[in-house]
Parts: sequence; structure tokens; C-alpha cells
Amino acid sequence: MSVDDQPGLYVESTIIMTTVRVVAPFVLTFALFIMFHGADSPGGGFQGGVIAGSVVLMLAFAYGIESTRQWLDVRVVVALAAGGVLTFASIGLGTIVLGGQFLQYTEYEVFLSHASKYGIELVELGIGAIVASVAIGLFFLLAAGFGHVVDEEGEA
Amino acid sequence: MTLTALEGALLLFVVGCALGAALLRDTLASVMSFAAYSLGVSIIWLILQAPDVGLTEAAVGAGIMTILLLVALANTVTPDADRLLEPVNVRTVLLVGTFVLVMAATVPALPAIGDPSSPVVGGEVTQYYLDNAYEQTDVKNAVTAVLAAYRGFDTLGEAVVVFAAGVAALTVLRREVFA
Repeated sequence: MSVDDQPGLYVESTIIMTTVRVVAPFVLTFALFIMFHGADSPGGGFQGGVIAGSVVLMLAFAYGIESTRQWLDVRVVVALAAGGVLTFASIGLGTIVLGGQFLQYTEYEVFLSHASKYGIELVELGIGAIVASVAIGLFFLLAAGFGHVVDEEGEA
Repeated sequence: MTLTALEGALLLFVVGCALGAALLRDTLASVMSFAAYSLGVSIIWLILQAPDVGLTEAAVGAGIMTILLLVALANTVTPDADRLLEPVNVRTVLLVGTFVLVMAATVPALPAIGDPSSPVVGGEVTQYYLDNAYEQTDVKNAVTAVLAAYRGFDTLGEAVVVFAAGVAALTVLRREVFA
């Protein structure tokens, strides 16, 4: 039926499932911490995005790739990537609209204080969204592989 | 330049893992060796006081890359390894050896780690970022300040490259999968 039924690819294990269920929220929190706190400590969007993506990979290892794919639609993943690019670009272009240079965060100072800091955080979040969704998307498609071809032929 | 025991051990470990990744005949062993290599390199980045790069190396090189390679491996048929190591081509060894020698010849010219008289530390640009990054951008990590503010346009380009490469790979793979 699916990739998960192939011998050796997915083994349902209570230990792995329990471990992942306990660890996953912490890993996701850590990813967001790396993304947000990247402004004041090592880290940032690229690193945090990869860690956030690895949460989904972890879930796929524990609960099976096919069920994870059903839970997280690929369209959501692609939308997340596009949303990241749009966030970054619109923050950059917004400053031009306000009369400044590209990505001149201080232009947002009229709306809120520390605009520069929050602008950078948002940009990091956008980068994180791009990186995480590209990692997840690549993983899903690589994992689909031959299993999916068999699947399509079986249903046809 | 003197090496501490930890640095020496790490360098040996990294070079050993690199040789393992290149020479091991079993693909799975080679991938695992590559992951260990990435982990070793990320710790070396930490020792070189580049935690941002180390974090990236650990997350991308040792984490995601290993998983993607393993998934790709799971989709292929791997022939049984009849022997431990790949046969070594003498010409390749000569070529790579020469290249390594040329690269190694430049090592003595590098400044020591944290050398205050090195051109990077004393440089005008570096000093400007270190002096002004916090006041101008409100973030304490100068690397982030350069990445997202001073060189924000470059980073946007980088992010778009990741996005475009990802979308292109997804499109091509999708066609392969559902063809």
C-alpha cells in the first residue's frame, strides 16, 4: 500500500514513538529559540529552520512517512516556503514604501520602538520558514521514491 | 602553532572520518562516516570561535544531510560489500595529494587564532561592525546584524536561492515520482 509496508523501512516501535512524542515539543521550542534568540546569541533563521524541519523528520521516523505526509499536506509546506520569501521581501520593500532604503529597519520606528530588532527577528523567522519547508519537502519527496510509483500503479 | 590534545584528537578524527567516507565500500558506512566528519568539523568551528557556523554545520551537515542521504539509500538497491575498502586509483591520489600539498603550503601564512594583529581583527570594516552593530541594529550578535541588516540584501538573495533550489528539486523529483 505504501512506503511504510516495505520491509525494513518502517518499524512501529513503542519506544521510538514515546521518545519522539516527549522530545518533539522541546526540539521545536529549541528551534524557535535558536531562530528568535539568534539576534543576541549564536544561531538564526538558517540553523533554527533546519532544527524545526528535523522535528517533522523525527515524527516521520516514529509514526511512518506516509502518515506524516497525510498529517502535513505538501501544499502547506510549499506555502510556508513561499510565505518565508514573501515575509522577507515585504519587510525589505516596506521600508522603501516608507521612503527609506531597502531593509532600512529604522523606517518602521514610527510604528513601534526597537523596530530594527523586531524587523530582524521577522526576517530570521522568514528564513527559518524557507529552510524548514525545503528540508521537509525534500525529505517527503525522496522518501516517496519507489514506494509511490508502486502505489500509483496499484491503484490504476 | 601548537595544538592542544583536544584539537589534535579532533583533527585526527575528522581526517579519519573523511578518509572513511571516501574509501569505505559500504555506502551506509560511508554515509555514517560523513555524518561523524560533519560533527567533528562543527566542533572545530566551535574551537575556532565561530559558533554560528558550527551550529549550521551540525544541523545541516550532520543532521539533515545524513537523513536525506539515508532516505535516498533506503530507496536504492545496495550491492553487498565484497570487501572493506574501495580500490584506490594512483592517479587520483597523486592529483588530490598535490592539491592538499598546495593548500597546506598556505597554512603557515595564516594568522594564529585570535591574533590581534591579524588583518581581519584590525580591519576597518570589522571594527565598524563591532563598534556600531548594537546601536544601529539593536541586536547583540554582530553576525546576525551583518547577516540581516548590513548585508540583508545578500541574505535575501541567499534565501531566495534556497527557495528556488528547493522548488526546482521538488518539481523535478515530483515528475520523477509520479511519471
